[in-house]
Amino acid sequence: MKRRTIILLLLFVALTGKAQEKEHFSLFTDRDLYISGETLLFKVFVPEDELSGIVNIDLVNTKGKIITGISKKITDHQADGFIDLPDSLSSGCYLISASTAINTTLTVKELYICNRFTALPESNIAIRPIVNSSVIEKPAVSVQIDGLEKAYKTREKVNFALNLLPDFISQIDNHLFVSVAEIAPGYNPKTFVKKAKPTANRSIEKDGVVLEGTVNDIKTGKPFKNGIVYLSIPDTCARFKYYITGNDGHFKFSLDNYYGKIPVVIQAFDREEKNILKIVLNLRDSLTSGVPAAFEPWTIPAELRKTTANNIEAANFRKIFSRQELAVAAPLLKKPDDYPFYGLPTEVVDPQLFIELPNFAEISRELLPGIKFRTYNRVSVLQVFSPSKHNYLNEKPLILLDGIPIRDLNIIKDLGTKEIDKIEICRDERFYGYLKFPGVVALNSTKPDNTRFVESEDLIKITVDVIQPDVTLNIPLEQRLNELDLRKVLLWKPSVKPEQTIRLDLETSDIIGSFKLVVHGKTKDGSIFYKEQTFEVN
Amino acid sequence: MINRILYIIPLFVLLATTSLSAQEEMPKNMNAETVKGKAFISYPSYSGAPFLNMKYLMGEIEFLDGTKVKNIGLRYSSYRDELIYFNDYLSAQIVIDKISLKGFSFTDVNGEKRIFRRQNYDGFINGERYFEVLSDGQISLLAYRKVDLETCDPSFSKLGLAYKQSYSYYMFAPGKGYSLLKINRNSLLTKFDKPNQRLVKKTLRKNRVMITDEASFVLAWNVIKENGITINF
Repeated sequence: MKRRTIILLLLFVALTGKAQEKEHFSLFTDRDLYISGETLLFKVFVPEDELSGIVNIDLVNTKGKIITGISKKITDHQADGFIDLPDSLSSGCYLISASTAINTTLTVKELYICNRFTALPESNIAIRPIVNSSVIEKPAVSVQIDGLEKAYKTREKVNFALNLLPDFISQIDNHLFVSVAEIAPGYNPKTFVKKAKPTANRSIEKDGVVLEGTVNDIKTGKPFKNGIVYLSIPDTCARFKYYITGNDGHFKFSLDNYYGKIPVVIQAFDREEKNILKIVLNLRDSLTSGVPAAFEPWTIPAELRKTTANNIEAANFRKIFSRQELAVAAPLLKKPDDYPFYGLPTEVVDPQLFIELPNFAEISRELLPGIKFRTYNRVSVLQVFSPSKHNYLNEKPLILLDGIPIRDLNIIKDLGTKEIDKIEICRDERFYGYLKFPGVVALNSTKPDNTRFVESEDLIKITVDVIQPDVTLNIPLEQRLNELDLRKVLLWKPSVKPEQTIRLDLETSDIIGSFKLVVHGKTKDGSIFYKEQTFEVN
Repeated sequence: MINRILYIIPLFVLLATTSLSAQEEMPKNMNAETVKGKAFISYPSYSGAPFLNMKYLMGEIEFLDGTKVKNIGLRYSSYRDELIYFNDYLSAQIVIDKISLKGFSFTDVNGEKRIFRRQNYDGFINGERYFEVLSDGQISLLAYRKVDLETCDPSFSKLGLAYKQSYSYYMFAPGKGYSLLKINRNSLLTKFDKPNQRLVKKTLRKNRVMITDEASFVLAWNVIKENGITINF
């Protein structure tokens, strides 16, 4: 009996132990030393059991504040992309972290970024994190690098091959990652894994970035039930999403067909217009759990100082001549509806075809039959005549300015014919999912912007970083002899199909120094392997 | 021993529930309720049925971008060729914008799945129409389930107007367009070359298919399709 109990307990311990031994992200960057204003390239191998479809890569300072970050779609348990390092970064140690919205295991890599205006600190001392257990990779015996010499001249063609054993190819999970970049002598940053506290109310980001938050009653401060949250994305055809909050006041929007940076306007209101609401967005601005507990002083080696000085010169030159380092691939977009969410308009009026009118009250009176816009005691009212009901609809219609719903008519009351490009009207009751619009009046201004909307507790204007599109390294196809070639990354192939022989070629740039060819991959059992070889360019 | 096991079981249950809650998915309605439409205004009450299905039947709609909304109450109006759905939350009958849909389907009272596809009709009174797909393939057999409001004998309808079925059947192939069909044997045979007509007759006889109504016509069509007899289209 005792034995059975012990077996059961052991089984339980083993199971829970296994659950805790979760595979972590494997994060690689093109280099370890950067100059502010440069572009950082990264590659991530994602655990196979990861539920999220989006990985977040953040650049964090030593205090845990997120400086910049991107979100990238995970394809075949891998992702690659870039981060533009801000020009304003001060010289010092930084951390780059890979995480997802729900994963509690962070993979963090240490970097050194040098400001291109102030250079390295004169004290020659920097701080570096104290890492007790860094991520260890296995060197791959089954990968051979052939044809790569120990030294090359500048602007010399380099041809080499990666030879993989046939048995090993079948063990590789998806693609290999190959890069050739300049190395920072005397600087070996570490990659480590940190546990983060699980964040409450975070959703799984499957196909796109999820923007979420809570709607509270401004008076009581408690979550508001049945609040309506509008999300508008100004576009040629107005993009719109909505959410009706539950007991917890929580709302979320999946921005799954958007790439790059998008301006967003979020509004929340009580359907019965009795309460004023406050929007609290769950924005990630710090990643303190990714920061190591302690740092130690580190003397910058003389060799690294020299390389950094050269790199600053090269970075400045590239900035002056504005070299485009990356070519962005246009993402394959799901075709959005080519008509607005409020339906096809029953009437379209171009006020500029008529006499000049000073405000919207005049426009509605002269140009918009069946639209009643009146202002009594500084309160404006707009009503739409419905032909099917043979009367003016009693409720307030949906009024939009450049695709953004407006609830305060004072925003449009001063708009004259000079400011309005087009007016679209839907006279009937329109429905969009669970929303009912008693008529629609959509105004398109001549200069579309959202500056007319004033930010308040129930209206937020933000720019959201959604999924980063795929990029390729822009390597000049032809030699430009009269121009300096200051590429520090000579080859960046984040997804190479494993084959018995992989032939690769590159051309060295005008940068003199040590370069390293690195091959990384992941086996089907989840372990990361690497193969590397250094060479000199002189 | 049993007591000890009883102590351990809740631990396992707890472990299972925590791991399940960690895998919680987005609510199904998130961003899914994007049905666009306008309020349905009741038709005048005359004899006959303006709808293909008088009651709302559970079905599925497919938007142009391929996204689907399942389990919504649908009713097809044969009179106006429009799809009406019932929005529980708003307690409203909504006519779904035809241009937003690729098609829809529902299961009728007999348990049969009825599939409709929105297509542009280039014939007389051209425009977007919902066609019921009776048989799909390189050449599809489609039905346009139209009901017209027609004058009738006052003995049939006191108001002198009634909704009358005026269904049309078409052969359709992308790039070739529509060809009108009548639900009879001769109409079907005219779609084949002389030598093939004999083969069609023989095949139908062999499979004991006699064209008397729409169902037997569809059956005959499918039998011919299975036998690979070339349709003259």
